[in-house]
Amino acid sequence: MAISESSAQRYTLQDPDVRLMLEVRDDNAAAFDELMLRYQNRLVTVLEHLVGRRDLAEDLAQEVFLRVYRARKRYVAGAKFSTWLYTIANHVAANALRSMSRRHEVNLSTPTNESGPTSSLDRMALAASGAMPTRQADKAELCDIVRTALSGLSERQRMAVLLNKFEDMSYADIAVTMEMSPQAVKSLLSRARVNLKEILEPYLENGTKPPETE
Amino acid sequence: MTEQSTNTEQVQEELSAYLDGELDADSVREVELRLARDAAYRQELQRLERAWDMLDGLPRAAVGDSFTRTTIEMVAVAAADEVKSFQEQLPRQRRTRNAIAGGLAIAAGAVGFALGLLWWPDPNRQLLDDLKVLQNFEYYYQADDIDFLRQLDRESLFADGDNDHAS
Repeated sequence: MAISESSAQRYTLQDPDVRLMLEVRDDNAAAFDELMLRYQNRLVTVLEHLVGRRDLAEDLAQEVFLRVYRARKRYVAGAKFSTWLYTIANHVAANALRSMSRRHEVNLSTPTNESGPTSSLDRMALAASGAMPTRQADKAELCDIVRTALSGLSERQRMAVLLNKFEDMSYADIAVTMEMSPQAVKSLLSRARVNLKEILEPYLENGTKPPETE
Repeated sequence: MTEQSTNTEQVQEELSAYLDGELDADSVREVELRLARDAAYRQELQRLERAWDMLDGLPRAAVGDSFTRTTIEMVAVAAADEVKSFQEQLPRQRRTRNAIAGGLAIAAGAVGFALGLLWWPDPNRQLLDDLKVLQNFEYYYQADDIDFLRQLDRESLFADGDNDHAS
């Protein structure tokens, strides 16, 4: 994609991470370390919730940083740095998920060691039915429930949700990252929200919160 | 797709974009007016928002020092590989450059020789052209007037089977 001189100048002025990346392009190793320190936790967070495994998320994040380094000489300031970084991350994660899917390894919910209901959804159903001793799910359980809800979304919905929620990305930036139109992102995120609502509603309706009144 | 489901999808998209702050000022005003008078619409917004807010419960990763260290090591290895590959390519590039330079020199030489042949006067060609003059040089030397020699020629005094010696 051709990038105009004016937009390159705009991104360079507005985004300090773009300026750092331009230094990386000029083989400044310290600039690369700085960028990595700024983004490593954010990137691993998104990837972990996308692929469902911390160890894999860290491997993928390293692959992303390696690709950033290898692509440094071709870098042009055509977008915010985070948009460029997550475009690479999106490709890396999609490849990994495809390979995992071929090997039937995808399991996004947290594995449990409990002898009771094996899935979080089973436990959610139990909680909702009142069969659990206490209907107060603790923080870990809440995490588990939300992870399971997230795993109920399609891969693309999940990526869009994570970029929007954790990276605070606009529809326009998500569109660039995921190579879609902003209108498609709007529909994708709307469907994701509705899916999340439908998955989480049994918990929300029958949990600690009082029923909604009109 | 029924009209109702399309309508529902539109409402959900509108509310979702409203929650994300992605609507323009006019659309925001319309949504807020409807929120004020439509309880079902308001409830749908709350349900979407509530489910969305639960995502805040997801943990944020904090990687350890070993992650940073190993990533930097991986990048350092990649950088070293780049340098090695560049250095390996240098003699090959130099050989290629020398071969190209040699080829160009030979081609230039050949072109120069061809042009020289075309443009440089051939001294033997000049001698051949002047052969008859040289053969009769003694006569020319003794005569002062070229017209006189031509007159002698017309009278076939130089005849040796060829009539245009002096021409």
